[in-house]
Amino acid sequence: MDTSSELPSDVSAGTAAIMAPGRRHQRRAAVLSVLAGLVWPLQAGVVAWAIGAVLAGASPLPLAAALGFGGLGLLRVALTHLAEAQAHSAADAILARARTEIVANEASRATDSAFGGAGSLAALAGEKLELLAPYVSRYAPARARVMVLPLVILGLAFWQSWAVGVVLLISGPLIPVFMALVGMAAKEASARQMAEIGTLNDFLVERLSALVDIRLLGGGTAVLQGFERQAGDLRRRTMAVLGVAFLSSTVLELFAAIGVAMVAVYVGFSLLGALEFGAWGGQLTPQAGIFLLLLAPEFYQPLRDLSAAWHDKAAATAVIDEIATYSSQTGPQLPGAGGPAPRLSGPASVALLGCFTPSGRALPDIAIAAGERVALVGASGAGKTSALRLMAGLELPQRGAVVVAGQVLTADAADGWRARLGWMPQAPHFLAGSLRQNLTLGRTGNLPQALDRAAIGAVVQALPQGLSTRLGETGAGLSGGEARRITLARAVFGQPDLLLADEPTADLDPETARSVTEGLLAQSAQGVTLVVATHDKALAARMDRIIDLWGAP
Amino acid sequence: MTALWAIFRLILRDQRTAILRGIALSLIVLVMGVALLGLSGWFITAAAAAGLAGAGAVFDVFRPSAMVRFLALGRAAARYGERMLTHDATLRALEALRLRVLAAHLSAPYATMIRVRGAQALNRLTADIDALDGVPLRLVLPVLAGISTQLLALVALWVLVAPAVALWVVGGYVLGAAVTFGWMARTTVPLSRRAEAAAQAFRTRLIDLIRARRDLAVYGRLVAQRDAVLAADDRRRNLRRLLDRAERRAGTALGVVGTVVAAGALGIGLMLVQAGQVQPAFAALGFFAALALAETLAPLRRAVSDLGRMADAARRVRRDLAEPASAKPSEVKPRAEAVLPVAEAVDLRVADLTLVRADTPIPVMSGLSFAVGRGETVAITGASGVGKSTLLLAIAGLHPVAAGHITLGGRAVADWSEADLRGLLTLLPQRSTLMTGTVAEALRLANPVGDVRLWQVLEAVQLDQVIRNKGGLSARIGPRGEGLSGGEARRLTLARALLRNPDLLLLDEPTEGLDEATAFAVLQGVRRLLPEAVLLIAAHRQVETDFADRVLNLS
Repeated sequence: MDTSSELPSDVSAGTAAIMAPGRRHQRRAAVLSVLAGLVWPLQAGVVAWAIGAVLAGASPLPLAAALGFGGLGLLRVALTHLAEAQAHSAADAILARARTEIVANEASRATDSAFGGAGSLAALAGEKLELLAPYVSRYAPARARVMVLPLVILGLAFWQSWAVGVVLLISGPLIPVFMALVGMAAKEASARQMAEIGTLNDFLVERLSALVDIRLLGGGTAVLQGFERQAGDLRRRTMAVLGVAFLSSTVLELFAAIGVAMVAVYVGFSLLGALEFGAWGGQLTPQAGIFLLLLAPEFYQPLRDLSAAWHDKAAATAVIDEIATYSSQTGPQLPGAGGPAPRLSGPASVALLGCFTPSGRALPDIAIAAGERVALVGASGAGKTSALRLMAGLELPQRGAVVVAGQVLTADAADGWRARLGWMPQAPHFLAGSLRQNLTLGRTGNLPQALDRAAIGAVVQALPQGLSTRLGETGAGLSGGEARRITLARAVFGQPDLLLADEPTADLDPETARSVTEGLLAQSAQGVTLVVATHDKALAARMDRIIDLWGAP
Repeated sequence: MTALWAIFRLILRDQRTAILRGIALSLIVLVMGVALLGLSGWFITAAAAAGLAGAGAVFDVFRPSAMVRFLALGRAAARYGERMLTHDATLRALEALRLRVLAAHLSAPYATMIRVRGAQALNRLTADIDALDGVPLRLVLPVLAGISTQLLALVALWVLVAPAVALWVVGGYVLGAAVTFGWMARTTVPLSRRAEAAAQAFRTRLIDLIRARRDLAVYGRLVAQRDAVLAADDRRRNLRRLLDRAERRAGTALGVVGTVVAAGALGIGLMLVQAGQVQPAFAALGFFAALALAETLAPLRRAVSDLGRMADAARRVRRDLAEPASAKPSEVKPRAEAVLPVAEAVDLRVADLTLVRADTPIPVMSGLSFAVGRGETVAITGASGVGKSTLLLAIAGLHPVAAGHITLGGRAVADWSEADLRGLLTLLPQRSTLMTGTVAEALRLANPVGDVRLWQVLEAVQLDQVIRNKGGLSARIGPRGEGLSGGEARRLTLARALLRNPDLLLLDEPTEGLDEATAFAVLQGVRRLLPEAVLLIAAHRQVETDFADRVLNLS
């Protein structure tokens, strides 16, 4: 995947679009989170007042101090709670929108995305998208706090003591500078790690779907070793990412610790009377000292929060880049919605006029009348499958026209046209669900009759749980011929007017091929128009007409 | 929870030293943090008291301030070390775990193997094990370090400040944390299990939608499938919302505990000062230490929110690891005392054999007997479903024998060890999978031999010219054999099987997708390469039966 050339020029525009659904909640979360942070100076004030008073020999009410500090603390907890609720709503809205868009996009396209296979897309729409949530709920509020809280605390520090203010003022700005440097390194390392996780997942899917081959070839040890190597690489890369992240937070912590220690030492010496400068009116009061000591860590805390969430931002940016890449891979749209529709009226005829294959090869003009039996032949690459897809209304031709039931096929008519079709794809994919669900696909009809016509009834009965058996994705448990006949039964079940079959007898022994052929011909005997794409000469010979796609211009 | 503990024990076994060091460092980090804040509070207050009393000149400022600096720097360093150490150890342990799970899958019974749904098994291996990194990092280490810190604080506060403060602070934290944790664990575990199931449904349904897009469109089911995908996501969203609310409540509860404990420490401290039992500086120490101890609670929130996911993942991973032990008889059986001479070993005899469909009593064939000697080629024919593939699987030791015998070199197939059996025979199943990689990598999966041998087998299956045109052995093959035609892929998997140099080669419809001339040339190439081997072909084409010395009709 070449991301460098495919990437839209403005990634931040993509970020804004993805984040748009949660903007209102995000803003509220930021405000509430800042308000919660502003409570701490008040709590610090209460503590400073109480301890200062005790030192001065006064007797403050312990209960008042505890209640004041505790009450404000509860207010802070409550504000934080509300801020988090808003942040969650923001993340929820953003994720839901992005996910719905991917699903809707996948349900409306005619061909597979160039972005990647089903596994990569499921990963993108599933766990990878999930990585946006911490960015929204942690990073964004932390950034808002960084904008406000250090400034407020700096102001308070200067109000009490210019020396403490200067310490904070000098150490504070160094942190973002360093953080920016570290952040750049972290982003690169994180992108590398994301790519590696994708590879590792693809690597695993392949090996798991090839378990049988690996075992038969005695390749278990080699495969495990290869996997160990890849997993080891991933671990090293992950540690590189984490190392950078940990280093950045350690450096921050050091800055914060040094800053706090300097404040503490200055305050201590001032209170002892060893330092006569720094405070506005001579010596620092004990109250002011304790107040400053409590404030100093909170000056750095928002910066540390932001740095802890930096990894979230790096991960989110990588995901947003991927979504942008995915969105930029547009392809042909599926004509119609792919939902149930009343059957299009007119004869069960189909014609291709001046159409081309996706690779740009011209297809001959083909006109098939209702009730006709036609074989499309030609070497692979001649456009047999493309022609079938055009006839099935799964794609609209970029040039030329497809005429179905006496009218030019349009997106509006596509659902109605497809409602009249039976369809046997070359490679069957079975859905997660029972065999019955795979056969009926939510339609009503006569299932035993369909099984009969496809000569598969006996096989189904012999399955451990009959029609309730759950098949693997590629029909594991059934032989190639059985899986093929299941797709025939599925096609017959809808009582189609026109049956399109892509290589219906490939991989079958002559006997089974004959029974599938008979099943197809029996349909035709019911008046169904039959179009098969095949290289099986015996099957082609049984049709009324053979169209050679190579031979034509 | 027992599964979680079992997984942690497994991780501990792999990475004992690193984990123990990690616990020690976590403890040091927490203790230094508490000490730092407590000492600072004491220092400031004591300094203020000395200043007010005019005793500033005799107050020892250097030791406390050096201590503050040491604690501040030491804590940062310890935290960095702890994080690197525990993360590395955990990732290593998970890597080992992942390998174990993959190995378990590789030795699972055949029937289980073919039913593995790629997406689900993948999810188990990656997501589940990824979720388990929280077991040491976010659950066991922080809880152990937190409890230890609280106990140390109990002693320190008892001695330095007052028993009342010590009991209030540590008692409050431990009790509050335990109640919150217990309550949350009960709420979140079932919720996250259901959320995980919804996420799984979303994933499976989306993969189905993408893979079967055209079929669904033709049958008007695309819209319904899309809605089903979104419904799964809605379900997950709702559950996530509940989970998040529970987690937020836990956070709030822990926040309340922290606030109440610190406020109480302040109030009690002030009372004791006014009663003259404690110096103000030590009361301040108690209060500041109480503030710092809130740190020990912070990881708990993350732990409870992940607990359900972790428990669920641990349960599944543990089951996966447990399976092969009971289901792998080939490794339990003793190995042959002596390796049989090759000439004898290639002899295949089938006597009065009955096979049944997997997991049913329905017979596929019964009373089958035949024998094949070395160098012989036998074609097995019969209609689809008559049991050709099942017979080959049974000979390869992948399908149980219901009655009768299959013997290789005079010994029943079931008595051969897995390794010896695979060394002796090779089965090319009807559907063979090619993985992403180069042509050479695809072939060397079978046998890590040199380029010369690779070209020999490619030539035998009439593929040498094709591969040369594609750029030689380093030509790339895409996922699921992309870039090769069906016939080319078939021949490449055949070449791969030949590299095993088997004494008995079982071929299930080997020439599918090849024209007659190529098919015949390929079969001749196979025989030329393995002149001594027994060839058993489940045949469905004239060219295959014509090539065989003998035809065995199962019908």
